[in-house]
Parts: sequence; structure tokens; C-alpha cells
Amino acid sequence: MSPEPMWRTHELKDSYDVVVIGGGVHGLATAYYLARLGITDVAVLEAKYVGFGGSGRNTAIVRSNYRTPEGIAFYDLSVKLYEQLAAELEFNVMFSQHGHLTLAHNERGVSGLVERANMNQWLEVDSRVIFPEEIQELVPELNLFGHCRFPILAALYHPPGGIIRHDAVVWAYARGVDRRGGQVHQQTEVTGIEVRGGAVEAVVTNRGRVKTRVVVNATAGYASTISRMAGVPLPIETHPLQACVTEPLKPFLNAVIVSSTLHVYVSQTDRGELVLGAEMDDYASYSLRGTLGFLEGAALHLLELFPCLANVHVLRQWAGLCDMTPDYSPIMGAAPELRGLYMTVGWGTYGFKAGPASGFLMAELIATGKTPPRLEPFALTRFAADRLVGEKAAASVSH
Amino acid sequence: MTDHNAPAAAGQFEFLYNGRPVRSAVGQTLAGALHAQDEHILSRSFKYHRPRGLFCCSGRCPNCLCTVDGEPNVRICITPAAPGMKVESQNAWPSPKFDLLAVLDRLQAFMPVGFYYKRMYKPRRAWPIWERVIRQIAGLGRIDRHNSGGRYEKLNLFADVAVIGGGWAGLHAALAAADAGADVVLIDEQPELGGHLRHDPDLAQDAWAGMLRQATDHAGVRVLTSSSAFGCYEENLLGIRQGNRLIRLRANQVIVTTGGWERPLVFENNDRPGVLLASAVQRLMHLEHCRFAGAAVVVTDNAQGYRAARQLVAAGTSVAAIVDVCPGPPEFAADIPVFRGHTVVAVRGSRHVAGVEIAPLAGGPSQSIACRWLVQAVGFTPASALLYQNGCQLTYDPACDHAVVVQYARGMHSAGAVNGTHDPHAAALEGRLAGLAAAATVRPHDVSLAALLADARRRLDDWQARRATCAAQYVAESPAKKKFVCLCEDVTEQDLCDAVAEGYANIETLKRYSTVCMGPCQGKMCQAAAIALCARETGRTIADTGVTTARPPEQPVPLGLLAGRAVRLALVRRTPIHDWHERAGAQLTDAGDWKRPRVYSSVEQEYDAVRCHAGLIDASTLGKFDFRGRGAAEFFEFMYPNRFANLSVGRVRYGVLCDEAGILLDDGTISRLQDDQFFLTTTTGNAAAIDSWFRWWLAARPGLDVRMTNVSGSYAAMNLAGPRSREILQPLADIDLANAAFPYLAAARCIVAGVPAVVLRLGFVGECSYEIHVPAQFGLAVWEAVLEAGHHAGIQPFGVEAQRLLRLEKKHLLPGIDTDALSNPLEAGLPFVVRLEKPDFIGRQALERAARRGPRQMLVGFRMPDGFAPEPSSLVIHDGRPCGRVTSSGYSPAAGAAVGLAWVPAAIARNGDTIQIQVDGRLLAAVVHDAPFYDPAGDKLRS
Ligand SMILES: Cc1cc2nc3c(=O)[nH]c(=O)nc-3n(C[C@H](O)[C@H](O)[C@H](O)COP(=O)(O)OP(=O)(O)OC[C@H]3O[C@@H](n4cnc5c(N)ncnc54)[C@H](O)[C@@H]3O)c2cc1C
Ligand code: FES
Ligand code: FES
Repeated sequence: MSPEPMWRTHELKDSYDVVVIGGGVHGLATAYYLARLGITDVAVLEAKYVGFGGSGRNTAIVRSNYRTPEGIAFYDLSVKLYEQLAAELEFNVMFSQHGHLTLAHNERGVSGLVERANMNQWLEVDSRVIFPEEIQELVPELNLFGHCRFPILAALYHPPGGIIRHDAVVWAYARGVDRRGGQVHQQTEVTGIEVRGGAVEAVVTNRGRVKTRVVVNATAGYASTISRMAGVPLPIETHPLQACVTEPLKPFLNAVIVSSTLHVYVSQTDRGELVLGAEMDDYASYSLRGTLGFLEGAALHLLELFPCLANVHVLRQWAGLCDMTPDYSPIMGAAPELRGLYMTVGWGTYGFKAGPASGFLMAELIATGKTPPRLEPFALTRFAADRLVGEKAAASVSH
Repeated sequence: MTDHNAPAAAGQFEFLYNGRPVRSAVGQTLAGALHAQDEHILSRSFKYHRPRGLFCCSGRCPNCLCTVDGEPNVRICITPAAPGMKVESQNAWPSPKFDLLAVLDRLQAFMPVGFYYKRMYKPRRAWPIWERVIRQIAGLGRIDRHNSGGRYEKLNLFADVAVIGGGWAGLHAALAAADAGADVVLIDEQPELGGHLRHDPDLAQDAWAGMLRQATDHAGVRVLTSSSAFGCYEENLLGIRQGNRLIRLRANQVIVTTGGWERPLVFENNDRPGVLLASAVQRLMHLEHCRFAGAAVVVTDNAQGYRAARQLVAAGTSVAAIVDVCPGPPEFAADIPVFRGHTVVAVRGSRHVAGVEIAPLAGGPSQSIACRWLVQAVGFTPASALLYQNGCQLTYDPACDHAVVVQYARGMHSAGAVNGTHDPHAAALEGRLAGLAAAATVRPHDVSLAALLADARRRLDDWQARRATCAAQYVAESPAKKKFVCLCEDVTEQDLCDAVAEGYANIETLKRYSTVCMGPCQGKMCQAAAIALCARETGRTIADTGVTTARPPEQPVPLGLLAGRAVRLALVRRTPIHDWHERAGAQLTDAGDWKRPRVYSSVEQEYDAVRCHAGLIDASTLGKFDFRGRGAAEFFEFMYPNRFANLSVGRVRYGVLCDEAGILLDDGTISRLQDDQFFLTTTTGNAAAIDSWFRWWLAARPGLDVRMTNVSGSYAAMNLAGPRSREILQPLADIDLANAAFPYLAAARCIVAGVPAVVLRLGFVGECSYEIHVPAQFGLAVWEAVLEAGHHAGIQPFGVEAQRLLRLEKKHLLPGIDTDALSNPLEAGLPFVVRLEKPDFIGRQALERAARRGPRQMLVGFRMPDGFAPEPSSLVIHDGRPCGRVTSSGYSPAAGAAVGLAWVPAAIARNGDTIQIQVDGRLLAAVVHDAPFYDPAGDKLRS
């Protein structure tokens, strides 16, 4: 009895209604929700394998305790879709909503948390500021009262936040696309986009030319290079972001712990590994190699929070690419001056949690031709119109 | 039994294994001592809790992971025993011998690959419950909440050539490079050099001892033993762990001579205690003086297996059979029966090997042989991780059945077994060649070196390295379920076949789905087999199947080692006046890395002193920069939105820095001390960021005559403020401070209290005030002199808390507190600093657009009609929606009311507009107040 395949392999047709470039969570979710809306002649073209990019490298933190009303509303939709996802796609994506704690180590940090809590509560997102006694109940291992250079003063506690099995999300969407009649093409690299008369006409790939009127750029770290193929420059700079994982330990840490003052965050998977990360590298680069400096810094900061982890071993480190926009918020929608080019890019260090909402709303946009209100604040035109989204203060290390 | 296993060495002591004392000897590893005590089940496997015992004895598999003195997941086969150590087994309850969760092994059929993905998600509420169960049984070691690790240190080294691996090839490489004049560091993870020669005595040639001595005595070779190179990073930066020391070695050239290990076979119950790699057996016999009681079977396809068999016999073990995978003529086997063209298909025995089942590879009936040990020496896995890590390209070579380098990254070399060169003579030649080539790169003009190199290359070419021609079959053909490919993760052959059939055909996806290669050994034991299986199942070649990416670290590294001692030595910056503050009983607060007085007596008292008499605040934490050069003014014209070219000598001006989007980054002052000399201040928190911001933009203007020096730490600074400050400072200063001579916004170099100083006439807190900058070493003296001079006038030191209130009354903003990543100076109430008539400056385009469209939101002052100050961060509600926030607030004695700053929509930002602020779920009304709350005309600070 041979098991049922997750997705099939196909010959690449010479035309599709919609071509999605990038087999990460955003590309696959867009294709999936398109298919759910009945647009099934869709091909997802992935240069390597599904999940090669950020979607297979991220630290899988999911939360909606953002800072701005537009950000909160958007990510809240994503969290709700994630909550339904396992049942909908019949695949356990292991969404563990064990809570998310953003720590503050100085007064300024605390007031930033209070501000977010106020805004979250206004929009009915479960989030509140808690203080060391209560933090200790949630995470007894945390260094709350011992010697510490920057003692923890408070935390923003967001109970629905947590982590998810990122690969499972990617695979489940890929299977969803396949089951609903779309096609996922791995090892298929887009090398050019043909444009005629102000409209997209075809994409060129290493497996041949594919005619299409609709192209969705969902290539994250490579987004600006793909967009340039169509002559549409993006205000995006690609930076590496690194992470590492330790050997499995008996689970002791349920919540996700984030400290932007100490530039570190950590969570523990169901396998028992600690996953930790830091800020992105501050130079622009496409390098996927980890550095020793990252390991040293992340370890140092983690031990300030959890001195008892000094004896825990790092097992592997890696890097992924982050497509950073000037306001640390994504760009979603149609290209203003080129018909048929859509994008969901600029996902930076925080985009995995956004996959479902972005796919859902992008599909609606493509299917109806109308921009859903929740997408409007994130249009490419906001830069020229000077309508930036104010998430920078909350996004940096918080993923 | 224990008797004849007794270690030969003297100097005995005891350690505790699961609470029981175990005898050991100096030089023995924990694992060696336990083997000698017939302790063979050391752990339970990750998923099915199967019994596991010593397998590789070289720290490369998961089988011997224990908690040692509170450190979880320690490989006890490479950990020397020490008196009193506490060793505890993991992942087993109550003990590794009788583990209740071993029942999971019988449930394997119900846990196919990807089992978790397919189950437990329906209904939605089920998953959290299942997850709790999983989290109960997951993981290996346990952390000890009260153990914060040992003492770690870091060392930085530099070398011309780093040789990693002190085996035969490595020794030759190191000596060749050092003889050629290079400065060499030779690194080996073992306590002594020699590589596998140490535990394979039949190979050790006469030359070995001599080579060893030469290497240790050579002035050009530094030897690091017990040191494992775990990472080869960009630009040949090696991360090396030597006990509790992290060594960062930057080498011009890196030679990888790391050898490799035997390739584990995959057959039924291949994970039973008693199944070992041949090198593990050899290590235990020759380095640990262990015996193997009972019979052994050796399965092999090469000479090493035969050597191991003969050595076992010599040590008193009866070898029941040599199972030779190759059909060809056998090596010398003494009197041991040899089964050619056979392989092992299964192991019998439930807790330890009791016998093996062997079968001809060509097909045919299997037969059983009773034995206690199964020793494997089939095939080879090169330790090539460091080569991959540093960007070398390797391709599968069918001739040696593993990947070999086809393209070296810059500065990388390799030699010996890692290249598949097992013959000692050839390995020595390769090592020598690599050593010479590396030295030649470091010393490119040495002609004699070039000749030597050519000679070595020719000799190596002449040598036909003999390579195994028999491509072994690593996975036994049988329908059995318990054939483990991955020991760490309990992944079986069947799991991998199913995963490929489900579509996870890419080796990377296969890895992530099945978790093969993801365990504590990171694929060292299973990657080769996983790739071979993936190739078999997908019908691709091994070369096309590829490998999973090699990610550092090559060996697990403790977080404490990486962090070093900095955890306990975290940076604290103290101002030169710090001790005085402490003596005065100030409450301190953190400002970035700095400590600053927050309050001395009480905010009210300090406030009163500044408003009525005089106050003194330590401002040494400000960022301070010295700019010189004829291009400085031009540079500031570009960096700042306001004008600086027209700033006269002896004047200071307020300035804000914006980014390209016109967002306010920081504020500070710029003083012109001479025509081409400027003194700048930034806020405390942004000093470092602004330093790099300036440097970044300076780098873009290479022709400009500007020299910048960050003098933040070299100057102490203090701000003397209050109506009586002039009369206090005048007697100490050598310039005329009269208002006409030194008015508001004047700047001067002068002498204060006998010390050279820069004095700026500013007014942050709204009074006549002098910001005094003096060399740091005089900070305290000047501070005390000013206080003393002001004693009669009622001077008091004040802290940041009072300063905040004082400046709030003046509506002076604090960047980062009153502004965020959307704030531009036009909307933040600073339109006067933006000079759009200037041709270009950072953020000009954006600010021009913002000016054209008019403000959307504004930072405004507000006062509360009824007494109560809303906390900073309270929401401003307009039209039933949050659309702004309070950034600062407090009770203003001057206004006689609670006041604050808030961002509000432009529509309600006019003087007298009412805004609604949410406080504890209620809405409170506040009134927008345009003017400063104190001294609106600014007479005080100008007087
Ligand atoms: C270390 C790290 C940690 C992170 N942690 C978090 C976190 O905790 N929470 C969170 O929400 N986000 C996190 N992120 C961010 C998140 O990973 C990304 O924002 C998200 O995965 C982006 O998904 P995507 O589908 O847009 O792009 P990707 O997953 O990057 O997919 C893009 C795909 O496009 C393909 N592609 C590129 N060029 C071409 C071409 N020419 N033709 C065809 N295909 C092409 C690539 O191969 C790639 O597979 C993290 C990122 C990193 C690197
Ligand atoms: S036996 Fe210790 S790591 Fe393999
Ligand atoms: S055997 Fe260690 S990861 Fe597979």
C-alpha cells in the first residue's frame, strides 16, 4: 500500500491563467485561495523546492499583537486563519498557542508595551502588560530577580501567540493547491518576465516560456530582482537574518520569549529543541551562511535571560534572506503601472505569520479586481504618497 | 566478568553512574569505564525508546548522550572520567535498562513517518491536549535550573596555515608548510596527535613516532589538542572548542585533514547495543584497554575490518566470522572463517546482540551466527563538513563511493582520507602537497617552494592511489521494519521510502519531513544512507540527489562557551561623576549602557531649585563629536535639514537628524568653535547609531575634508541651569558671561574651574543655562567646584526625572519617546528646523512632499482641565477610533495642571481643541495647548 502523494509533478504547460513565482508560504497560500475561489489554472513556480526560502528557515513565531490598527487587523486575520488551517487542509500544522512574551528592560520599553497593549485591547486582541511576579509564574526559568545587567521590568503577554510547524504549513498549502487543481512546479526558475503594452505577457523559465496575464511576485528575499525583470523597482533591501537551534531538551519553555533590548528571542519546539534568533545582519547581502559572531551574540543574550542554559549545546545555525522595506511593513497589491503584476513582498523578518491572510486577500484581489480594505494600507504607492505604516517600533526583533 | 575487564592503568578513582559508583582510571573516558563494568545500555532512543549502547566511540552518534554534572547531552565516549563526576542517563525512566516508554517501540507500526502531521488535529481542541502529552515525552536531557555553567574564556589566534586533523596526512601537511616557513596551527580533537594511527596499531609505521616528535618540536607549528574545529566561517575564520575555551582562529590557508569514519549499515535491529563501528572497537581496545567478552562477527569490505578482527582475536575475543561484502579474494584472516559476498541482514537479541543473520548478496538462504558483538567496517564517510561549510564544491565520486572536492574555496585545501585517499603513502604525499601549496600562497615569491611543490605534485600523480573497487550495498534487502537509517531520530528505511512516495523527493524536503539527519549528530551517521535511499527510491543517481546543506557547528557547542564571560561582565558605563552620585544617595537608572541619576532628593525639590535658584545635572552620557575640516559645514548642510553654513563662530544651534524618509532620528546641538571646527552633541541613547550614521554618509563623500572623532567618553558634561546660574559660574570662568557678552546660543572654549572647557548657552529646561564640557578626568573636580560655588545660591544636583518635567513644561521633545518611526519634524512641531530652500539634504524629498500635503498628525501639548495626568502611551480617541497617543505627561506646577504631549490628528490639533484620552476604559477630555506651559515667550532662557 503506497501512501498518497502530497503533490504531483506535471509537465509545464505553455500558458496559465495565473503564474505565482515563489514556493513559500505566500506564493502557495495565494495559489491555494485562488483555487478555492475557482481559479484553478494556476502554476506556482519554485526555483528550488517548496520551502527553500524564508518559509523553511524562519523561527515560526505567530502573533497579532502589533502596534498599528492596520497591522493588528491584518495579522489578527492571519492568526484566525492559522487556527483553522489544520482542519481545513487536513494536515497538522502544529500551531502551539502557548503565549508570546515581549520583554521590556527599561522605562521606554515598558511604555512601548503599554501602548501596544492599549491598541491591541481596543481591537480586541488578547494582550496585556504583566510584571515580574506574573512573568515568573509563566516562565520560572527566566532570570527575573537574580543579577542581571538589564533587569526585566515588564512583558507584553499575548496568550494566542505561539509557534507553528513552518514546513508543515508549506507542505499543507502545496497539497491544497494540488488537490484543488493547481500545479506546483519545483526546480522551475523564472529568469525573465515579458511585458507588452503596459501589461504582463509571459514569464520565461529554465523549463520554457509560459504565457500568462497575471503574475504574482512572492519571492521574499529575491523580490526586488524579480520585480526588476518586469521593470518595476521596489524599495526593498535584502538582509540576512540568522537563527540557530539547540539539541533537544525536555520541554520546559512553553511561551515564546522576545527581548528587543537584548536582541534575542527563543522558543522551544515540541521536539524539545530551543530555537533562537536575533536581529537581522545590518548589511545588505544575499549570503545564506551563518556567522560565528551571530552565535556568540545570540548565546550571550540568551544566557542573560536564562543563565541555566549555559550547558546547552547549539546543534546548527543557518541564515535566511529578509526583504526589508523602509517602514518594516509588507507591500501587497497590484503594481500601479503594469497591468497583471501583483506582489506580496517585503515580508522581512516577520512574514511567516502573515501567509494565510496575505494569500487570502491577494486571491480576493486577483479574483475580483478590487483591493480588499485590509490590503489598502500596504500598497506600493504608499511610499510615494508618504503614507508609511508605523510598525517599525514593534517589528524589529519581534518577528 | 568485571575482573578481566579491569583497566590496566593505575591511579584509580570512582565516579557515579545513575547514583552507583563506577571504578575508573586516569586516561579513561566515561564510556570506557562503563564498558569495562559491562554497562552496555547507555541510553534510550529519541522516539521509540529502544536500548542503545556505544556505537562510534568518537562523539559522532547519539547513543551515549548522558547528563554529566548537570550538563545535558554530553557524549560520554569522548569525555574523560574524573573523580566524583555524576553521570546520569537520559530519556529513560526509571533507568536505561528498564524504560517504561520502551512500549513505544511496539507501537512503531502506528507511528509511520510524518505521523504527527496526519493525526491529532481533529477536532481543533484535541491538538493542545495531544501536544501536552508530546511535550511530556519529547526531548533528551533535562536542564538544571540552578546550574549556570562553568567558567569560559575566549582566545583569538592568527596563523598562516591552519591544519585541521592531526592524522597522517595532517602531520605531513603541517610539517611541509612549517618547513617552508609558514606559521602553522595544527588542531586535533583527540588528546594526542596521530588520528586513527593511535588506535590501529598495525598501521602505525616506524615513521609515525618521529613525525609526531617533529611536529611537536617544530618552532613553526603550534599544536592544539583536545580541540575541535566546529566551524569554518567566511574568510577562513575557524571556531574551535578547546574544553571551556573558545578559540577564534583566523587563518590565511586552511588544510582539512579530518579523515572520516565507517559507514553504518542498515539492517534489521542495526541499533542494538553490541553493534559497533570497527574504529569504536579499536579505540576501546587500544586506547581504553577494554575487552570484548564473548564472540564477535566482523562485517567489512576492506582491510580495516580484517585488521580489527585480528586485533580482537589477539585481545582474547573469539571472532566467529568475517562477513566480507566483497566477492573478491579476502585479506589475511588468520584462522577466522570468512563469508565472501555476504552481508548482515539482521541482528538477534532484544537488549544486546545475541547473534547475527547473514545472507549472500547474490541472494540465497540466510544463516545465523551466535555472537555478542557485531563489528562494522564497511565503506567510508569522509568528515567533509568543514569543506562544505566554507564553500568548497564536492561531487559524488562513484570510485570511492562518497563526495570529493572538485572546486576548492579560496584558501582551502584537503588531504588524506577526507579525500578518499586511505593509503598511507598517498595520504602523506597529499598532505605534503597541500602543506606546500598553502605555504606557497602565503609566500608567493619563494622560488624553491615552487620547485618542491611541482615535485610533490608529480609524485602524487605517479602514485596510483588504490581505491576500493567494490561498491558495497549499505542497505540490506529485507522486508523488516526495524532497519534504522537514522539512529538519532529513529527513522527507518520504510519511513524514508514512504516519505519519498508521498512526494518528499527532494533530499532537503525528505530531511525536514522524516527528520532524518536532524538529530544530535546532524547526519554524521545517516546522511550517506539517506541519500542512497532517496536516490534508489526516486530513480536518480546519487550525484543528482545531492546532499543536505552542511551547517555549522560541526560538533555541538555549549551556549556558555559561545557567550564567554561577558554574561557576567556585562558592560556598564559610568560617568566620571558616578561615584559622587552614589555617595549623594542618588537613585540610578539605565540609559543605554550608562547609569544616570534619576533623582537625588525629590523631583519637587529639584524642580524648585532649577526654577528658583540653580540646578546641576550630569550630562556626560550625551553623544559628543568633534568635527574638523574645511568641508564640515558643507557636510552638515547635507546631513541636517536646517542651515549650518551660516552658523557663526562662537554660536550653537539646535538641529535634528532625519532619515531619507524625513523621519526624525535624533536631535542635538552643533557649535562652531572655529571656522573649521565643530562640536556636536547627540542624545544619550542614539550616540552609537548616530556615529555609524555619520560614518556611513561620510564614506559616501570621500573627497570632502571632514574628520570626525567620537569624543563621547572623553568629555564629562554637566548642565548648570536656573536664574542664578550666571552668578555661580562667572567666578569660575575666564570669559565674560554677561548676557550681552555671552547670550543665549553662544558657544565658547574657555577655562572653567581651571580646566579647559567648552561652554554652551542652552535652554533645554527653560532657564538660563550653561552646558559645560570638560575632559573626563576633570569631570568630578569641575562638578564639585560648581556645586561649591553655588552653595550660597541654593544650587542642587538634579536627575533625569526632574529634567523631564522641566523640559515638558517647555514642550521640548525627546526623540524616541515623543517621536516614533513615523514622526517628521514638520509634524513634531519643529518646522523651523526644516529649510526646504536648501538644495539638498537627507530627507529633503520626503519633507517637501510632507510640507506640500500639510500635516496629518501633530505632536501637541495638552492640559487636563481636571487634575489627572494620563499615563504615557494612553490612546487618543477620535471619531470612536484610536488615532493617536500620549507620549509624555506629568503635573506641571507652572501650569497648575496636568499637562502632556500627544500625537493627534491634524483636524483636532489647533489651540483650544478638545481631545479625548482613554484612561482605564474611560475617556477624559484634554485641551490642546499651543504655547509652552512655562515661560511661553522664552524670556527666562534668554535672560
Ligand atoms: C531566520 C529567520 C527567522 C524568521 N522568523 C520569523 C518568525 O518567527 N515569524 C514570522 O512571521 N516570520 C519570520 N521570518 C520571516 C519569514 O520567514 C518570511 O517573511 C516568509 O517566510 C516569507 O515567505 P515567502 O513565501 O514570501 O517567501 P519565501 O519563503 O522566501 O519563498 C520565496 C521563494 O521564491 C523562490 N524564488 C526566488 N527566486 C525565484 C525565481 N527566479 N523563480 C522561481 N522561484 C524563485 C525561492 O526559492 C523561495 O523558495 C523569519 C525569517 C528568517 C530568515
Ligand atoms: S558512542 Fe559516543 S557518540 Fe557515538
Ligand atoms: S543518525 Fe544522527 S541525525 Fe541521523
